[in-house]
Amino acid sequence: MIALLELHQVSLGQRLRPVSLTIRAEERVVLLGASGAGKTTLLNLCNGSLRPEAGTIRWKGYPLQGLKRQQRRCIGTLWQDLRLIDELSVIQNINSGALGRHGLLWAIRNLLGRLEPKVCLELMKEVQLEPALLMRNIQDLSGGQRQRVALARLLRQMPELVLADEPLSALDPPLAKDVLDILLTLPSCVISLHRPELMHRFDRVLGLRNGELVLDASPETVNRQVLEELFAR
Amino acid sequence: MRPALPLIPLIPGLCLVPMGLILFGDVHGGGLPLLCSFAAAALHPSLEPSVLVGVAMGIRITLVVTLVSWGISSVLGCLLGVLGSKKIWRLWAGITWPALMLRKGLAPLRAVHELIWGLLLLQILGLNGWVAIIAIVIPYTVLLARVIADQIDCQEPPALPALQSSGASAVSVLLTVVVPAVAHPVLDHINHRLDCALRSSLILGVFGLGGLGTDLMLSLQSLRFQEVWTGLWLMAITMVLMDRVLRLFRHRWWMTPIPLVLALMTAGLGSSLTLELPWPNPQLWPFWNAQINGVQALAAVAEVNWPVVIASTLSITLMATCVSTALPPMLLLLWPSAWSLPLQSLIWGALRLIPPPLSALLLLVVAKPSLSLAALALGLHHGGVMGRVFIDDLQRERHHTTGMLKACGASARMSWLYGPLARVSRPYLAYATYRMDVILRDTAVVGLVGGAGLGWQLLEALSSFHWWLVLWLVGGSALLTLLGENLSERLQSCWNSRAMAL
Repeated sequence: MIALLELHQVSLGQRLRPVSLTIRAEERVVLLGASGAGKTTLLNLCNGSLRPEAGTIRWKGYPLQGLKRQQRRCIGTLWQDLRLIDELSVIQNINSGALGRHGLLWAIRNLLGRLEPKVCLELMKEVQLEPALLMRNIQDLSGGQRQRVALARLLRQMPELVLADEPLSALDPPLAKDVLDILLTLPSCVISLHRPELMHRFDRVLGLRNGELVLDASPETVNRQVLEELFAR
Repeated sequence: MRPALPLIPLIPGLCLVPMGLILFGDVHGGGLPLLCSFAAAALHPSLEPSVLVGVAMGIRITLVVTLVSWGISSVLGCLLGVLGSKKIWRLWAGITWPALMLRKGLAPLRAVHELIWGLLLLQILGLNGWVAIIAIVIPYTVLLARVIADQIDCQEPPALPALQSSGASAVSVLLTVVVPAVAHPVLDHINHRLDCALRSSLILGVFGLGGLGTDLMLSLQSLRFQEVWTGLWLMAITMVLMDRVLRLFRHRWWMTPIPLVLALMTAGLGSSLTLELPWPNPQLWPFWNAQINGVQALAAVAEVNWPVVIASTLSITLMATCVSTALPPMLLLLWPSAWSLPLQSLIWGALRLIPPPLSALLLLVVAKPSLSLAALALGLHHGGVMGRVFIDDLQRERHHTTGMLKACGASARMSWLYGPLARVSRPYLAYATYRMDVILRDTAVVGLVGGAGLGWQLLEALSSFHWWLVLWLVGGSALLTLLGENLSERLQSCWNSRAMAL
């Protein structure tokens, strides 16, 4: 399996101590840790929205900060606060995931509502959103619906690697299961969770405590004692 | 096809195409060397001591007029604002009709532009500094009163019914609940009026009422561009300093009374130094001596081709609003980066600095007079004001979505279009509709130099002492402004946002 993302001695002050790890293609990784352990910081470093103070991050061998915009779209993020565009409709939000593959004219056509809705409707079906919501303003949606719009936008981006920050935190159990099922159909992902009982659905477990990577193992080897230590205050 | 919110501020930019075509047809090369030498003089302003002293004197008078008119209008506006609030009257006496009567009675005073007030007062008081001050005080007081009354009436503090049911007196309720709720936006607005007062006193000066505006106009007419730029640069420094002070007070709104007191002290000093106020001479009052003649009055109405005059005024307003609204987002998308914002601010500052009559005169050097030219001059000046509001809004926003869009691989231009521009569009458009109302009043200013609209007709009537026509034109202008104000309020509620606090 080829290496997608390589972190070498990456650190960011007290928020993240030096970390080295490699995420490979077709690998499903769960990131565990208590609140404030550094999970969001690590994911934001991986998608390039934070710059490390030290160390290097490479995407398929190229420095992450030097990637062209067409290459950047290969890393998709499902943000904890969703980062939807409140002023736009559902279809316009979903299509915003594909901006990296298109030019300015396409972006303007999307804002004018002149794009074919077929792709978006298929994605909405996949994430179990009613087609009737297609033209609705994003502010009129419930929390769960907004979460699914963010997921549809991520799928529209067609990334090679997905980084998801607490994607199940605000969802009821049936919906959380559906969202996780969809995320795990994607080729490669790193998902931060508060729920260790779900780790068996992943290939690899990473554990952070106080900004330090203290666990990197397969789920079968992680026992209850290890988890208690990981989440200990 | 229904354009999404971030595209709407850009759509008015389409009017630049027909305007450009008209202006291209009107351009003549004869004035181009003059325009070039004007631009070149920006880098070589005159530094002769006599010029510097003259400009400093001009700025002093402009500042005195600004501070005094701002101080007086702020105090009077607060008093009238309280009296014009329906909520206050309901608290005091259980009735609202006095507030409504006061509002209706004051509205025509607000509708007449300060320049028209200045030209009318010039006929009554003769040429002295108080003409400019009173001309600014009248509309500004009434405008502030309206803002304060609206602010008080639209606030619904949860503690209000609780205090009323506890038997507290009207004054106690006012001081405990209403004043703290409105203090912040009202004081922000009072601060904003200082900037407006500075620009108004500059424009009044351009039309001969003293101060730097007069110096700039005289220098421009005698083609002494280096002297013009000395004045403009010093004025720019003054504006930047004033802006810094206002920003300081924006975060410490409770300190606003300090500059207000300083302004009133300046009023005292100003009146004792240079601004003697003579008792108005009734002999100078045009209407005092005019014989009331109904036939003459009615005949004067027919002298104006009202449909053409009103249509030209509305055309200028519409085109100038489109230009001023579209320019800031267009520049942002041409130059989409966070570090360009300070440079864009400089451009908007430069456009605000040059009063519309001066920019109209400069444009007249290279093009024939037309409605498009008048609209461009007005649009560029108001574009400066809109640009400032736009940049302020952008800098206040947290740009989470920009990061998300960049992470998706969107280009910088797309990220700004979908991110910050989408975020600020609603309040920006609300402000643009308010600005349209201001531009409608300001058409009088370019009308006076551009040869179009009500402003030009008014100047003609004043020059020929045709007082009945003056009366009709002022009345027509006031009516048009009030209608525009009404339309602007409706549009603002369309955007679910009020521009009052700006």
